[in-house]
Amino acid sequence: MEVTPQPAAPPTTQTHMRDYWPRYRKKMYIIITAVQCLCMLVVFSALELFGVTQLTWYGVFLWAFAVALLLNTITITLIHVFGKPFRDLVQAVVLAAGEPSTEAPANPNTPAYEKDGFRDILQTVYELAARGEATTTEGGQLSSDVVLSTGMDNTSTGVIILDANHSIVYSNHAAPVRTDTRGGLVIDLLFAEDDTLEQWLEKAEKSKLTAEHQWTRIADKLPGEKGRRFFDIAASYHKGSNAETIITLYDRTGDYMPEEDELDFISFAAHELRGPITVIRGYLDVLHEELHPVLERDQAELMERLIVTSNRLSSYVNNILNAAKYDRKHLRLHLSEERITDIYKTISDDMQLRASAQNRLLVIDIPDTLPTVAADNNAVGEVLGNLIDNAIKYSNEGGLVHVTAHATPGFVEVAVIDRGIGIPVSVMPNLFHKFYRSHRSRETIAGTGIGLYISKAIVSSHGGTITARSVENEGSTFSFTLPIYDSVADKLKSGSSNNQSLIEHGSGWIRNHSLYRG
Amino acid sequence: MAIKTILVVEDDRFIGEMYVRSLKKADYDVDWVVGGNDGLVAARNKPYDLILLDVMLPERRGNEIMEALRGKEDLIPNTKIIILTNFEQDEESRMAMEHRADAYLIKAEITPKKLLDVIASLN
Repeated sequence: MEVTPQPAAPPTTQTHMRDYWPRYRKKMYIIITAVQCLCMLVVFSALELFGVTQLTWYGVFLWAFAVALLLNTITITLIHVFGKPFRDLVQAVVLAAGEPSTEAPANPNTPAYEKDGFRDILQTVYELAARGEATTTEGGQLSSDVVLSTGMDNTSTGVIILDANHSIVYSNHAAPVRTDTRGGLVIDLLFAEDDTLEQWLEKAEKSKLTAEHQWTRIADKLPGEKGRRFFDIAASYHKGSNAETIITLYDRTGDYMPEEDELDFISFAAHELRGPITVIRGYLDVLHEELHPVLERDQAELMERLIVTSNRLSSYVNNILNAAKYDRKHLRLHLSEERITDIYKTISDDMQLRASAQNRLLVIDIPDTLPTVAADNNAVGEVLGNLIDNAIKYSNEGGLVHVTAHATPGFVEVAVIDRGIGIPVSVMPNLFHKFYRSHRSRETIAGTGIGLYISKAIVSSHGGTITARSVENEGSTFSFTLPIYDSVADKLKSGSSNNQSLIEHGSGWIRNHSLYRG
Repeated sequence: MAIKTILVVEDDRFIGEMYVRSLKKADYDVDWVVGGNDGLVAARNKPYDLILLDVMLPERRGNEIMEALRGKEDLIPNTKIIILTNFEQDEESRMAMEHRADAYLIKAEITPKKLLDVIASLN
């Protein structure tokens, strides 16, 4: 809705305001001249009558002509000089009325006007005219367009309207738009890579007459940038309408920002922990190797406990970092063709050590013949590590932890089975929530309560599902599915050249490092 | 070409010594510098087979060193680079670095033993 000032209605009669001044000047001239002639006639008649002058008719005529010429010149000059403010005033009003005029608009800033104060009067006319242009139409009533646009600019809700070319045809003050390098207006928002406004619009245009879509927690700037705002966004599309796409943006900065700051802090703190962890893990690795021949059996066991614990610490820090990233929609997955056995191999040493250090038997039963999956090697390794770690923690001394895998239509399912303490029914619904741990385990078993939360996030980002089955005091089975590579290979390849695209129904968060790619 | 000479650019003394010790034990020729400027100078002056490059360095960041070495033209075509960091960059700068590096590793995840495996795999 483009708000344009309503043009003044054309005058109904043929008279124009701009003609008033010449007409008025002419009238003034005629009247003054007539009065002068009359006065002259009276004066000359009187002079003649009383015989003051002895002029011939010829002489009288000459005199009258001379006086008339003089008076006329004076009259024209006076009209010009003293009529000027009036003429300029009329001209300003003509201009304000929007009537076309060949005359240049009167300048209020001439030295004479500045001196005698007429400038303010003329200025006021122009100001009133400018205000009137914005707020009045024919008959002096407020136009509904003006009410609408003023109202729109006063609301804290952003409104953007796009035409069929996706160009912004209207945006109110609260809308996050900026001018791009070519001078056009663009929407200034950071959508998640796989769920952008453009993508939705293109999809809607192809297949729909009307469509609606919502986004939550969309920021306009990167973390750490000043004046960052968060919006919940609703967009509706109506094919063929002259306001084809309407986007409303609710500013939720106040709600999201404190949490955002907290996530920044968590992420920063977790990063800080990585320095000491690097040193502890590294030196333990060195010592383990170098001291191996000389350590007593029980000493070697203590050493292994240290290693296991430091590895665990490192996993927890990764869980925290990933969860903070996931919550901020920064977790990205790099999907490629992987074998479950190969993924397990990357964590195998660590897991076997964790199991043996705690007297658990870890049995891996993953057939080599399984189809390959589309997975982020590192992220799935973390999921598997979290599930095995939980199974070790919540099973009994000497217990068995069994990892199996089998193919289902379209997916490979991996299961981690323990014969441990199990999970009470009341706890099951909250299992994958952040910071939730079994009420009984809270005192006795350490953990961040974030492992299952991030595991679920990673698995569903792959397009898989994670489930838990458990009987109290008998044990638990956690299983997750990953899409078979062949079933999604086309999508992966078409999505981008470096196979980092995401599976359609995965929410597609972004993982920030892949362990190594040689 | 088998990797023999390695330059370690790492400002943390504990971490630097740890890598140097393990690499030397594995029979590599190792030079270790602490600052970003020294790192760039060393990398340009001697043809190393491999550079282990930290990102958060004093004077000059690892990504700047990377830019200087492999930005416009590859000044060290016979040298491999492994980025080692604990601070994960934003996606864009990470991608840029990963694109130019031969490997991008999180230090906390890479014990010296694993690092040796990675170097062996680069051969």
